[in-house]
Amino acid sequence: MFKSKILTAGLALVLAATLTGCGNGSHSSGSAANGSAAAGSGDTSAVTYKYFSFGGPKKQVLGSETTIGKELQKQTGVDWNIEYLVGDGDTKAGVMIASGDYPDIIDSSGQMAKLMDAGAFIPLDDLIEKYGPNIKRVYGPYYEKFRQKDGKLYFFPYGANIGYLSEPNFQTGFYIQRSVLKEFNYPKIKTLDEYFDLIKKYKEKHPQVDGKDTIGFATFAGEQGSFYTLQNPAMHLAGSPNDGSTIVDMKTHEAKLVAGSEYQKRWIGKLNEANAEGLVDPESFTMNRDQYLAKLTSGRVLGYFSYSWQVGDATNNLKKAGNDDKRYVALPIVFDKEIKDQYIDPPGFVNNYGIGITVKAKDPVRIIKYFDNLLKEENQILVQWGIKDQSYAVDENGRYTYANDEQRQIHEDPEKSMKFGFDYFNYSWPRYGNSSVLQDGNAYGPGSQPEVATFGYTDGDKQLLAAYGVKTFSELFSNPDERPWFPAWSIALEQGSPEQMFITKADDLQRNHLPSMILDTPANFSKNWDDYMNQLNKLDKKTYEDFITKKVQDRVAGKW
Amino acid sequence: MNKTSLFFSRLIQQRTLALMCLPFVIWAFVFKYLPIWGWTMAFQNYKPARSFSEQEWAGLKHFRILFEDSTFYRVLRNTLVMSSLQLVLGFVTAITLALLLNELKNIIFKRVVQTVSYLPHFISWVVASSIVLTVLSPDGVINLLLMKLHLLDKPELWMGKGNYFWGILAGTQVWKDVGWNTIIYLAAITSIDPAQYEAAEIDGASRFQRILNITLPGLKPVIIILLIMNLGNILESGFEPQYLLGNGMNLEYSENLDIFVLKYGLGMGSFSLGTAAGIFKTVVSFIFLFSANHIAKRMGESRLF
Repeated sequence: MFKSKILTAGLALVLAATLTGCGNGSHSSGSAANGSAAAGSGDTSAVTYKYFSFGGPKKQVLGSETTIGKELQKQTGVDWNIEYLVGDGDTKAGVMIASGDYPDIIDSSGQMAKLMDAGAFIPLDDLIEKYGPNIKRVYGPYYEKFRQKDGKLYFFPYGANIGYLSEPNFQTGFYIQRSVLKEFNYPKIKTLDEYFDLIKKYKEKHPQVDGKDTIGFATFAGEQGSFYTLQNPAMHLAGSPNDGSTIVDMKTHEAKLVAGSEYQKRWIGKLNEANAEGLVDPESFTMNRDQYLAKLTSGRVLGYFSYSWQVGDATNNLKKAGNDDKRYVALPIVFDKEIKDQYIDPPGFVNNYGIGITVKAKDPVRIIKYFDNLLKEENQILVQWGIKDQSYAVDENGRYTYANDEQRQIHEDPEKSMKFGFDYFNYSWPRYGNSSVLQDGNAYGPGSQPEVATFGYTDGDKQLLAAYGVKTFSELFSNPDERPWFPAWSIALEQGSPEQMFITKADDLQRNHLPSMILDTPANFSKNWDDYMNQLNKLDKKTYEDFITKKVQDRVAGKW
Repeated sequence: MNKTSLFFSRLIQQRTLALMCLPFVIWAFVFKYLPIWGWTMAFQNYKPARSFSEQEWAGLKHFRILFEDSTFYRVLRNTLVMSSLQLVLGFVTAITLALLLNELKNIIFKRVVQTVSYLPHFISWVVASSIVLTVLSPDGVINLLLMKLHLLDKPELWMGKGNYFWGILAGTQVWKDVGWNTIIYLAAITSIDPAQYEAAEIDGASRFQRILNITLPGLKPVIIILLIMNLGNILESGFEPQYLLGNGMNLEYSENLDIFVLKYGLGMGSFSLGTAAGIFKTVVSFIFLFSANHIAKRMGESRLF
């Protein structure tokens, strides 16, 4: 008797739990439907939505706490609770997907494949059709490049360029300390051998800096997610822009894996040789980001390879310190004199990153209207340049520039730029691409405006540029060639596919083998290389190359 | 009185106690037992955002992938070695420190040692691993010291040699947690009857003999219970220290089950594979826990259940 009572009670409990479970599900979809139904009115009542970004960590903020966010709130009534990823992106995305607990909009960064797979975003086609004239203007020409398999649009990538203007202060590649160039009267160096020779000569002359040993060359291959800093130079040295883990043939459009190629052998071999001469910092393979940046600012490092955005903090701090000789300049180093460097990215379209509206968004219509409003040119100027006479000035020719240091600092001083909102609004939203040109001919962003680029040059900058007979840093580099598929790294791999399995395993293999190969004696190099190749060849390289080749050829044919 | 009514009369008698337990029983049920439902994922080609009935069943496919992968065995080895090291060293050092602290007569010194030793427990692994990386870097304190003592002629790249990793990790964990682990033993020691010590002293037992014959046997129940509980966690070698201290060069030794699950499960969106690895972990832990408990029971010692 009693037993059956317990049983009934238990069953009731289970039933109740199931019911509430289902209730929740239907409730949320119901509210989404209500949202679309209530649309139409030019509603500007105050609301706050949630924005989550998987991009680089920043302080959590309320959009209206920044000048730009406040201005946009005035226009639309919408405010954002902007939150950034803390910790590991894979874990966070996994938890978010498993729980189905999404914010209103998500900036996917590298988590797009997973989020799309989970159906986290709502299709936008109808919304854009109804409420998005500006979206159509900006993104319209690119639709085919980010349409998903089902023929619908689910998110906005960040690179819809309108026109093209390159960045005058381009800084990526093989950095060298300016004192090294100065010491030898600004020699013109182009090849990897020349680069290391110069560093070696300087190190012999100055074995110590501030009482500590000079470090010839360092790179950043210790942290889990930064190993590409050691993998990618092989590709750049061979005269290819960053196409991810492959080099794409310009004529046949065949993608060849960099790992295990002759290029990689040559690059790793050179490092091995340089290490034997005491030029390579072994800590390159073990240190974390903080240690790396601290080392770069210590003045002990003569050369390093990095992308400019990896070392922004170190670069800014060195500039602030005011010693031009201890600062660095990036050079377009290649293997041989005949190779044309391709460090500057050609115009491309990154179609696997973006911002989308999630299935949990309370009012997709208001959000799409907010996006559309954001894409008006005046608001695009707001998020890039700020407010006229406050953060930029317009000269008599209608050119945008900084009138004084205060205006420049609003953009360059990390704290001021955060307060103004550039950090929060100038990227990771529906936007013009970085290389865009405004209707009046000004650059879309201050970074591409020549007047602005030269404004902040120090005496050291001017001296260096004069020594090489150029006006801006990017003139040291060759112009990019046209690559209609660019960038190949944005080719999305399907979750759990053989291609993804291959690249995960190949990366692990490289993380394990390349550093120890570099640090071993040169006598063992060819044996170590063969050993590595043996293991690499066991993996299914062909499937991966074929997959990327096919995608590249599709892109060339206009099918993105 | 039959058994059920006896149970209920007792329940009513101790209703306050039972009520106090209730929230925790519910908590355990909701957070520890309900999620077991998620294990079904291991037998499906799980795709999020699909309802249960739409999932595609895959049988034991994911277990097969797991056991056929050579990485898995390496990772399993690392996990077992790292957690055994942690288990043994954790016990030995904490008990030793507790015994030593107990013998201290100078209260101030004792407090200082205790505080200093348990402080590292409160810093996060991110900070702790940064400290370790800095200390062990080529121009760090350890290398400097060893070079001054002429034990090394050039700086050693400690984090770059896989075979050092287990030692470094074990040392780090001991440094971080020894003080904290000591607390429970110190508490157990205070519950030992002081009369026993006095009697032993009168009988002429030396300090060492007192430790051996009074303190240690007094600690035995605590040690055994903790050992059984920790054996249940034998495949939990931790995640953060390995992730933060690991790099390409020590990958062969630093990658453990949790990192494997992160990389091949969450990282690739293969929730099923991750779950399969999780189930494997649970089963192994379960076996360890029950055997340890059974052995304790056989030997007539205190046990968990």
